[in-house]
Amino acid sequence: MASAHVLLTLAWHWIVLSLFTVGGGPSILLPQMRQEFVLQYHFLTDRSFTELLAVAQAAPGPNFLIVPLIGFRAASWAGAIVSMVAFLIFPVTITFFAGRLLHQHDNEWTARFRRAFRPVTGGLWIASGIVIASATDHGAAPLGITIGVGVLSLFIDISPMWWCLIAAAVGAALA
Amino acid sequence: MNASPKPAPSLLQIAIAFVTIGLTSIGGAAGPFRHVLVVQRRWISEGELAELYGLGQALPGAVTVNVTVLLGPRFGGALGSLVALAGMIVPTMAIAIALSGIATTLAAANARFAAGMIAVTAALAGIFVSNGLRVLAQLWSDAPDVKLAWRCTRIAIGALGVVLVIGLHVIVPLAMIVLVVLSMLVEWRLRTSS
Repeated sequence: MASAHVLLTLAWHWIVLSLFTVGGGPSILLPQMRQEFVLQYHFLTDRSFTELLAVAQAAPGPNFLIVPLIGFRAASWAGAIVSMVAFLIFPVTITFFAGRLLHQHDNEWTARFRRAFRPVTGGLWIASGIVIASATDHGAAPLGITIGVGVLSLFIDISPMWWCLIAAAVGAALA
Repeated sequence: MNASPKPAPSLLQIAIAFVTIGLTSIGGAAGPFRHVLVVQRRWISEGELAELYGLGQALPGAVTVNVTVLLGPRFGGALGSLVALAGMIVPTMAIAIALSGIATTLAAANARFAAGMIAVTAALAGIFVSNGLRVLAQLWSDAPDVKLAWRCTRIAIGALGVVLVIGLHVIVPLAMIVLVVLSMLVEWRLRTSS
């Protein structure tokens, strides 16, 4: 049975995280999710966190399904629904009103903001990769896969889905 | 009220379109969004969708959610957007939760399956790092007219992000605020100096 305290904690943290989801997806906030839900509140272990990341990647749907998946691990269906609603409510409201205003005006500032955001996204994406690699089970095989995919995907531009499939096959074969 | 020449699609049509978008989004929703809304249903043009994506990226929240909300006026208002959001999220969320249960059970029972899952996350870590490097490399190559010093400053902001989060254990939201402020200053200086 999910306690009200757990649900409130989930709601609060997802609201804050949602407001920092700028520039596309929540990937750059994965280190923060781990910091809060794994290390601080122990809602899940590093092992389940990385498992859920793999599921979120493999499952169909938008790129923020990690949100209800973590919520479900913490407090079952109530946790999943509270997390999802908390993650959506402010961005949806802000976009609803701001979008209406901005759309009628020149898009100059959004273009400038996006340009200013690019180095930030770049750096935080690298940091996110390093944190995820350190949360993943340590061992020669996962480390080799991270480095291998990291280097190869710089030169071979295919969908991340293919890298994940190749990695799954290699990982399973090496076990 | 509706600026588009076409009548707004019915709520049922919107629901069906967005359930389709959700269920066909594997490794990103941008492709299915374009396919269903622009190619298949012709509810919006290619250029308009690109514009909404640009706007959606500058606002807080996941870009797919923001674009769906921004489509509201095409869908006869807020109710249309909410139906679209629910259509995209509810089925995929239920599937992902069911899959996570199955995956955990299988991983506990089968060492090879568990290793395969760990390998997927390991690959994702590699992809994130290479995505980040790509963004920084593009910043470098996209601006040949910009002075070398400014290009170096942009890359340095990216590098500072890694130092803050990994080296100094600064929480991501705080690092983000610092970096965005720095980056905005650079953009502003660039405009006034050129």
